Amino acid sequence: MYRRHYLHAYAFISPVIILFALFRVWPSVQTLYFSVFKVELLRQRLTFLGLGNFLDMFQDGVFRQALQNTLVYAVVIVPVSAALAMVLAVLFVEEFRLKELFKAVYFSPTVTSTTAAAVVWWWMYNPQWGLFNVFLRLLHLPPQPWLLSSHQALSAIIIFSVWKTLGYNMVIYLAGLQAIPAMFYEAAILDGASPLARFVSVTAPLLAPTTVFIVIYNMIFALQAFDQVFVLTGGGPANSTNVVVLELYHQAFQRYRFGYASAEATLLFVIILSVTVAQHLYSRRFEVAY
Amino acid sequence: MIRRSLVYAVIAAGGIVMALPFYWMLVTAVSPAPDIISFPPRWFPSRVIVDHFQAAWARAPWILYYKNSLVVAIISVGLSMLFGLFAGYAFAVYRFPLRTPLFLLILGTLMVPVQVSSVALYVLLSRIGWVDSYAGILAPNFASAFGVFLIRQSISAVPTDLIEAARIDGAGEIRIVLAVVAPLIKPALATIALLLFLSSWNDFLWPEIIINSERLRTLPVGIALFKDPYGNIDYGPLMAAGVIATAPMLLAYAVSQRFMIRGVTLTGLK
Repeated sequence: MYRRHYLHAYAFISPVIILFALFRVWPSVQTLYFSVFKVELLRQRLTFLGLGNFLDMFQDGVFRQALQNTLVYAVVIVPVSAALAMVLAVLFVEEFRLKELFKAVYFSPTVTSTTAAAVVWWWMYNPQWGLFNVFLRLLHLPPQPWLLSSHQALSAIIIFSVWKTLGYNMVIYLAGLQAIPAMFYEAAILDGASPLARFVSVTAPLLAPTTVFIVIYNMIFALQAFDQVFVLTGGGPANSTNVVVLELYHQAFQRYRFGYASAEATLLFVIILSVTVAQHLYSRRFEVAY
Repeated sequence: MIRRSLVYAVIAAGGIVMALPFYWMLVTAVSPAPDIISFPPRWFPSRVIVDHFQAAWARAPWILYYKNSLVVAIISVGLSMLFGLFAGYAFAVYRFPLRTPLFLLILGTLMVPVQVSSVALYVLLSRIGWVDSYAGILAPNFASAFGVFLIRQSISAVPTDLIEAARIDGAGEIRIVLAVVAPLIKPALATIALLLFLSSWNDFLWPEIIINSERLRTLPVGIALFKDPYGNIDYGPLMAAGVIATAPMLLAYAVSQRFMIRGVTLTGLK
């Protein structure tokens, strides 16, 4: 009985399929293809290199540093942001004055453009008059170089990104909390469990599926970090905040090494894909039935 | 009682930290230059001035950036919603050969972010002459996999009886989509449109790659590149630029924050 709808079906999906095939799928396949070539755009020439780009990549100190920074960034920011968000969400379950206003304030960085927000933080990290050093001086602590130090710049970017992602994660946790049936808490209270014990043995375990979602979602985004690094440091000083996407952006659009940049993009894709696959294997284990 | 005030203290202190960058941006933007670099810091400007706004306004075509951001957002959201509505309907209602593989193909693109495919996409667009054009900025955003997925989910919840009844009344399929199904899932459509608008409005990497000329810069690109030529000296105009770039979105958010937060939550949880 559906047969007469075939025509409709294909007509209705064809715009999306054609646009996706052209602008998403084809470039993705081409990225894989380019990764084994030297691509010269202006001369329209492809030179086969085999695994040459990949070998170069792993011998290049700049790329290795960028890869390491990206992984450090992702592995630090995700648990910090998720843990803070979980604690905040639990606090937000209480009733207090101006609750909706505070929720809105925590969420506001989420709706702000990353580059605009990063410009403000760039000013706050100014070593002479920036707000961070003003606070340190008020506390009679020595001012820090922040973005100008190759030891501190990545941490400074991580602090920015925690601020930027915290509200979103908190709101997702709040939704997760609302899904936990009240009877679990009632039972725990009857058993005389303290608030801390209730958090450890009821809330945190029952939030596990939400935590898996937040960790994976944030991890995938963290691996693609670009905007804030571009504005705050441009990858410096001394490459200490370079990340994979910024590195491939430099290689492709400033040095026109499209093949090499494609190899870097391919590696990033493989990393993101493994995180996604890990999610599917892992989230089953954490499924909770009420 | 003690517990409640402790909770309140933590939330309030955290809230101040979260809001501080916005507040400091505003204070810097309206403070005279000596205030900006005074120690101890001036939390309130000694007098409110608009000079920094005039300077920021003179140095960059903000109206143009706004126009570009709006044009890109409206076209990409409009087309993504239109195409997404029909594709979502087809995937939810019809059974047809290759339905699942095609749906998975669309979802699969979610796993390959533009960050990864940007190099090859640039090469493709340079061949068809779309570099440095609206079409180039829009190319990866004409349709949204996320949108198709969420619209399909919403339409799956619409009772088939309603669609069958409309068919018996002689309504064509296109009319059913636009006049029967779309009004029924209006709240979901509004949420999805809002999310697509936000992500288009704040998108930076792809416009930055594909745009060369200033006349096509969107706001995120404009503010990021505004920072560079003036270096470390002029924080007043820079923060005024920050206010110009963020205030409308923050105001829209202040008016509709419940709707926005609920929308993001619904879609975040799939």
